Amino acid sequence: MAEIVVKFDDKIIERIVTEKKRITIGRTNDNDVVLENRGVSRKHALIEFNNNAAVIIDNESLNGTFVNRRKITEEVLRDNDIITIGKYQLIYHNESTQPNEDASNFDGTMVLNTKAQKQLLENDRVEREIVERYGGSVLTGEENTNFSEFRLDRDVVTIGKAKFVHVRAKGFFISGIQAKIVKEDDGHYLINLGKKGKTKVNGEDVERHLLKNGDIITVGKSTFKYVEGRH
Amino acid sequence: MKIALISDIHANLEALVSVVKQIEKLHVDEIYCLGDVIGYGCEPSACLDIVNKIASVKLLGNHEAVVLGMISTKSYTETARISSDWTKDKLSEKDIEIISSFQMTHTAEDMFLVHASPFEPDKWHYILTPAEASLSFDVLRKPLCFHGHTHVPVIFSEVPGDLPHKKTAHNFDPDEESRYLVNVGAVGQPRDNDPRACFATYDTEFKEVCFYRSEYDISTAQAKMTEAELPDLLIERLAVGR
Repeated sequence: MAEIVVKFDDKIIERIVTEKKRITIGRTNDNDVVLENRGVSRKHALIEFNNNAAVIIDNESLNGTFVNRRKITEEVLRDNDIITIGKYQLIYHNESTQPNEDASNFDGTMVLNTKAQKQLLENDRVEREIVERYGGSVLTGEENTNFSEFRLDRDVVTIGKAKFVHVRAKGFFISGIQAKIVKEDDGHYLINLGKKGKTKVNGEDVERHLLKNGDIITVGKSTFKYVEGRH
Repeated sequence: MKIALISDIHANLEALVSVVKQIEKLHVDEIYCLGDVIGYGCEPSACLDIVNKIASVKLLGNHEAVVLGMISTKSYTETARISSDWTKDKLSEKDIEIISSFQMTHTAEDMFLVHASPFEPDKWHYILTPAEASLSFDVLRKPLCFHGHTHVPVIFSEVPGDLPHKKTAHNFDPDEESRYLVNVGAVGQPRDNDPRACFATYDTEFKEVCFYRSEYDISTAQAKMTEAELPDLLIERLAVGR
């Protein structure tokens, strides 16, 4: 059964496990998921479930609905997708992970931080431009890299400090081929091939990780951002 | 069908002749050559002529690619550069014509054939480590890959969810559930501490991979190279297989 974890300021405020065919998200109390916030429209979005698939549909909301930092109108959800509505984050899980965890205290009132909203929209615009320019998913160089954008247009992209790898990374203790990004049916996987603890996504060590838009990849001292091109 | 797979002859005529004689006794249906017929040794034309006659599949090696101007020798060691310049100088127009007909890769039945690596064949990557082997499994679309290039006969097998396993060359029956990268070793310049010429066979019907070693007259091969004034390092290594 699918689960939606509602977070505010990185704190879990609600876990929703539902058998319904659709759930509505919005500011008013008649929604299944009520997000009391002026930045959230009354009928902001809805999620429809069909067998094991889930689709989120934005209801022409004023501030928009984002999936993995990308503004969407309608989007098929994948496990661990992060939906952003106002300052809320809703994490979608294919199956319920931890039922009955206490929600933290949340008084339900806040004002949408328009600066954060503008930043989200600006990131979305920039990333869309990059994806359009390259016609697919791209790795952007963030820190200690010798490129600004690298197109992920092949089945396997190697990362490390060997001369022959596609993406050079810096750091004394990394392997010649420290990691690879492999294109599979459901997306790009980052796979560690070298020393343990030298390949990270969003600060966490990974061995095999399905990349999501906006993931920050760190190999040794170099940092890259994964910009997904499926939209 | 039974196929003999030979690679990395490196212009060593004594080694090639010895291997061909042994293959004749094995009653194979086809001979596939996986590249690097030339380079290092002193009889490139004679080796090209034999391979052209006996092999039904002929792949391009990096030493052939150098001669065709596809790779620069800028990053080569002095020994390698002397040898490639020497080779270029000796090749006839007919030799170049033969080399030009070599394929980069070949796919037949359940096999993929390449000189160096299924992963970016034209980059001539070495498959030495499980990490390097994993890149080739990512792009391999057949259960078996036969290749050469490192001059060391070795087998990598795919392990789901983990890095591939590396094993020294041994006769084996490929498991239908698994996939393999099989390095057939070198005919003309082995580097696995066994100076005998190395090659493999694959029986597509009985699904059996076998490795063979052929004794050959190393001293004669070395004497010819000395006569040709090729670098000592290339001459000496034949006797030790390194």
